[in-house]
Amino acid sequence: MAQDPLHVLWIEPGFPGRMGGVADWLTRHRGYRSTFYCHTTAPRSHWPSSVGRGLDIETFGVGGAARDQAVAWSRTLERGLCYAYGCWEVLDKKRPRPIDLIVGRSSGLGSSLFAPVYWPSAPVASYMDYYFAPHQHDLADHAAPDMRSSYYCWRRSMGAIDLLDLEQASLGWTSTEWQRRLYPGEYQPDIEVLHDGVDTDLFRESAWHSRGAGPRVIAGRAIPDEVRVVSFVARTVDRLRGFDRFFTLAGKLMATRQDVICVAAGDPIVRRGLDVTFHNQDYPARLKADHPSVDRDRLWLLGSVPPATLAELLAASDLHVAPGRSYPVARSLLEAMATGCVVVASDVEPNREVIEPERTGILINTSYEHTLAGTAIKILADRATYRPLGAAAAALVRERYSRAVCLPRLAERFSALVEAHEARR
Amino acid sequence: MNVLFIHDAFPAQFGRLALELVRRKGWDCRFMVQSLSSCPTPTPEMLRELEIRQVPLAAEHRTSDGIPWPQIHGHFLEHCRTIMEAVRSTSPPLPDLVVAHGGRGAPTLFLREVLDCPIVVYCEYYFATHRRDISYRIDLPPAEPAQFFPRCINAPTLSALVDCDAGYSATAWQRDTFPARFRHKIKVYFDGIDTDLYVSGRSSRRIGDVTIPPGARVVTFASRGLESIRGFDLFMKAAQRIAAARSDVVFAVAGGEEIHYGWDKLHTGAPSFKQWVLGQDSYDLSRFFFLGRILPEQLADVFRMSDLHIYLTAPFVLSWSMLSAMASGCVVLASDVGPVREVIEPGVNGLVEPLFDVDRLVATALRVLDDPAAHAPLAAAARRTVLERYSVETCIPPLGDFLERVAGRGV
Repeated sequence: MAQDPLHVLWIEPGFPGRMGGVADWLTRHRGYRSTFYCHTTAPRSHWPSSVGRGLDIETFGVGGAARDQAVAWSRTLERGLCYAYGCWEVLDKKRPRPIDLIVGRSSGLGSSLFAPVYWPSAPVASYMDYYFAPHQHDLADHAAPDMRSSYYCWRRSMGAIDLLDLEQASLGWTSTEWQRRLYPGEYQPDIEVLHDGVDTDLFRESAWHSRGAGPRVIAGRAIPDEVRVVSFVARTVDRLRGFDRFFTLAGKLMATRQDVICVAAGDPIVRRGLDVTFHNQDYPARLKADHPSVDRDRLWLLGSVPPATLAELLAASDLHVAPGRSYPVARSLLEAMATGCVVVASDVEPNREVIEPERTGILINTSYEHTLAGTAIKILADRATYRPLGAAAAALVRERYSRAVCLPRLAERFSALVEAHEARR
Repeated sequence: MNVLFIHDAFPAQFGRLALELVRRKGWDCRFMVQSLSSCPTPTPEMLRELEIRQVPLAAEHRTSDGIPWPQIHGHFLEHCRTIMEAVRSTSPPLPDLVVAHGGRGAPTLFLREVLDCPIVVYCEYYFATHRRDISYRIDLPPAEPAQFFPRCINAPTLSALVDCDAGYSATAWQRDTFPARFRHKIKVYFDGIDTDLYVSGRSSRRIGDVTIPPGARVVTFASRGLESIRGFDLFMKAAQRIAAARSDVVFAVAGGEEIHYGWDKLHTGAPSFKQWVLGQDSYDLSRFFFLGRILPEQLADVFRMSDLHIYLTAPFVLSWSMLSAMASGCVVLASDVGPVREVIEPGVNGLVEPLFDVDRLVATALRVLDDPAAHAPLAAAARRTVLERYSVETCIPPLGDFLERVAGRGV
């Protein structure tokens, strides 16, 4: 199949976000020209290498309800429309052209919704993240019995922007089959499962994992061989990704073994509106305040770190823990597997799609704290026995989830989409 | 069976339906509405037989001047919440079926939190980004929101449609405006025209205080609002030339000056599309009777004196008024667009001409006015069409059966 160079207009609320890495790979390996429209950008240390060399970034402002610190839940879509309008305004002013394809990732904000007003002739590919079930998955599985009804109303309303995106899109795509099945039955046949891949050049099987030897450094600090490193990574270290469980586990492990350090990477501020209890709060600080006895010298909270630091951490980790709730598989889980970490993850459907229990990782029922702690203690006590799990995980990611495997497929799909669109015109 | 009907207004699409279901099936029909409609107004029988609860939106969500388009979805959600709370506080028995309408999405999205019964939504219309509805009149000056509105206005409709058990549209054309993926879920059942009220016969030949002289020709035009989507401006252009050609013609125009759809205020900069249109040319207003919004009984009388009814809609939801005019035995000259073509077979039960072709509209209108007798068969066939396909008697039984099937989860 053709994998022609295309000029793609990428639209996502933040850069690099999820699409930035994809745009970078396609720019470097398939000759794409990428114009990336976003509202915010991460620090330059997080940017991929092709920025300024085929990948250009344009930022757009937002007005109206999107400028308010907080709005009523019923105005969520209105906020999204402010993003969409802000993006359109800059498009109309800067007038990039010619555009072969628009790739949008709404992230619940619908930023790409009005891009076709500017450029109606290009097909739109919309990346679909997550369709809310009113009473299921993520933190809804753990909502208090007296949770107010507006919480469920809000959840029922959150799919609206996704429905608009899907109606507008020539292609809806998502990363996993589990995510696809969350969407209403009428839309599922039109959503393709195409994983966007992990960077296996950066997250590659480390010497520590493959041979059990080699220097280990985490955020500039050397780690002696005898020290056991337990890692946790999330974009924001929140309940959704199970940081509360990791925190409890860390306390138990550090009490059990003096040679353990527990390291978490990720923004401490809860950014996802899904966690209505702790939204915009420093969640680790809250947990530490509630549990002052935790050994802070051995619980390292790195905050949000550049990809290279993340790779260091995972390369040095003896056990990677992903005890999150039922939610799309974190990219960091696949990155940990790619580096050859032994992974213990919660036994939820999305994780079962990527982890084969006892072969590429261990799935546990995280409802029982002792199960997680017991499993972790066994792994740390006998690293060699569990090392094959990490090797199998790394092989799996190389074969199924590396960018070198996933993104040529995506490029083929994009080319076919553009060709079909042109043929219809 | 207990049925809860939800609508912005009463009686609108559901009042007559509910009354018939009470009569024919003995169902218990309750309503939750924001307001009682002034056009048409509820009949005494409706008020006697049906339990109507007015559930107004909270003051901060009410507006008399339209809702800014980015806020429509939020307004919809507040309406959904109001309905949910109203149902939560309703005394038993709980409904066995909910039937809901919303011009911008039926406000049923949160009802699953408080009810466990099937939900049917009335699928009135799905807006298009171009070549239909408010995007159709590209001949008018551009209005800035028109580019964005159609890309987000369907959010409430989609949410309600995903959530419902079944839906129905009044016409196949309306159903086909919805995305193909949902059409399996949407059946076609027309609401039903009151063919006892809209019937041919002797009229008063009076419009207000004026008596129409014998021999004078009456051309009628009716629309809830005199606006561009219903071709009011094009009607006036045609009417002016008809008036110039025949001195015996008068024009009876029913409809208010409110704008219900589209961007007429933005297109024109005028508060009233009617006033803007009248300002575009020098019309002999002595030949026109602008009736404003009138009661169904008055409209029926106007139709009975009509020698020609002109209906010039853009491709959009078919107006009841066209079918009411046909039921009244009018010769109907309509725009040649999809929703009209579903009902009118040109030369058989009415006439069609291209919407923007004023020359042809005028020529056809004059042919009818020159020789009413020759066109009488069209009027008779129009009446037959409504009796056979769109009357209350014809439409209510299958619609009732459909609702019964859904209530039994048989869809």
